[in-house]
Amino acid sequence: MTTLIKNIIRFCVILLIQVLILNKVTLQWWAQPGGFPVFIPYLYPLFILLLPFETPVAMLLFAGFLCGLSVDAFMNTAGIHAFATVLIAYFRINVLNALLPKNLSEYAGQTPSVKNMGWLPFIVYVSFLVVLHHAAFFTIELWSVSNIGYLLLKIFASSATSVLLIIAYVLLFTRQAGTGKSQRII
Amino acid sequence: MRNFILFIRRFSNLILFLLLEVICIMLISRTQTVQGDDITSSANILIGNMYKQRNDVAYYFALRRMNDSLLRENTELRKRLTASAETDIIYDSAATVPIAFTDSGKVVKYADYVYRTARVINNSVANVNNYITLNRGTKDGVKKDMAVISANGAVGRIVNTSAHFSTAISVLSKKQQVSAKLKDGTAGYVSWDGKDPTQLVMRDVPTQIKVRKGDTVFTTEFSFFPANIRIGTVYKTTLIKSKNMQVLYLRPAADFRKLQYVYVVENKMSAERRRLEEAAKKDDDK
Repeated sequence: MTTLIKNIIRFCVILLIQVLILNKVTLQWWAQPGGFPVFIPYLYPLFILLLPFETPVAMLLFAGFLCGLSVDAFMNTAGIHAFATVLIAYFRINVLNALLPKNLSEYAGQTPSVKNMGWLPFIVYVSFLVVLHHAAFFTIELWSVSNIGYLLLKIFASSATSVLLIIAYVLLFTRQAGTGKSQRII
Repeated sequence: MRNFILFIRRFSNLILFLLLEVICIMLISRTQTVQGDDITSSANILIGNMYKQRNDVAYYFALRRMNDSLLRENTELRKRLTASAETDIIYDSAATVPIAFTDSGKVVKYADYVYRTARVINNSVANVNNYITLNRGTKDGVKKDMAVISANGAVGRIVNTSAHFSTAISVLSKKQQVSAKLKDGTAGYVSWDGKDPTQLVMRDVPTQIKVRKGDTVFTTEFSFFPANIRIGTVYKTTLIKSKNMQVLYLRPAADFRKLQYVYVVENKMSAERRRLEEAAKKDDDK
């Protein structure tokens, strides 16, 4: 029950950060140095990434769908965010299985973190899914491959900043040190 | 039958995944056209209020800039007022018609515009289709397809309304083109290429039209905008020899990053005009 409430609070916090702060960055005059494409870093996939290990896939898919649709409602992009988020929610379990040495069922009651995965696997896990999410999102949004350089540049720039922000969020708001089971705040 | 149930159980996740993705694709494909903007919209009471709360905070910091822009607009309007004060002329969207005041039975009525002010409570420039949320809705008389302009130039078109909020698709959108004309009346379309919020493109202008840097591009009377609203100024032209055309690159007149107050313009004649145009279209189809 507490995991559920914790995740709901985390969802709200991440959504607010995304919508009220990150979406506004491009409105500043310094957001586009030297004609570099404007891009928004997307922090909200982190909600899917930080769900507990034993969350069933159906649950993940519904959570991803809801999360994406809420962002869509804020940004007037009917369905594009939902599509990308459902995609990473489906592939999350495969990526985790490939990266973790033990079977997923042995991590009962834990959530993915630097502590129980190690730095490198965690970063690979985050960046793979974030790049997948961004690639799906920007491809559907632009809906053309005639300007593939621009598309790739936008995916790269946005993913790089998103991954940095996600790592910063994880370091700031989840408990990394300490003994015993990893406890998390928000 | 047992095998079938086993199959369903085995692939239930995949089926659910595909189902959700198909729902998303349906939503996306419905909003790819200019008409399909009414599905998910930030013009609902929850999101609108949240944006309004945020804007109430940010609003304070923009007061100085707003003050400046209001002063500039006032100067502009005063200039126009003195220009027209001495002559008895009605400036209208379609024509400039001098009126003899003795002829009181003559009614000149081309277009009748109602201006409503609205505050921009959410704004974006980074997406391929950008939307603006306004703090005025149907209770204030805002309806779909009204034009949105700022003090400096054309901004967009209302696509969705709720009781207290509305969303407008801005000129910075791939799926939205704006009918435009140059100073000498050459008509064309202004579109956005989806990359740089400080650059609009006007394609297919014949090469024999001389266009200089700094020329202004205006809206026409064919679109939902009132005529002669500034869209932008030309800062670069390129020739396409094979098509014998030139492409004009414009700096938008409205600063889309700093939109604070806008006007929602209602054209009282637009319903009548649309009815007439649709009737003409139906006749064509027959």
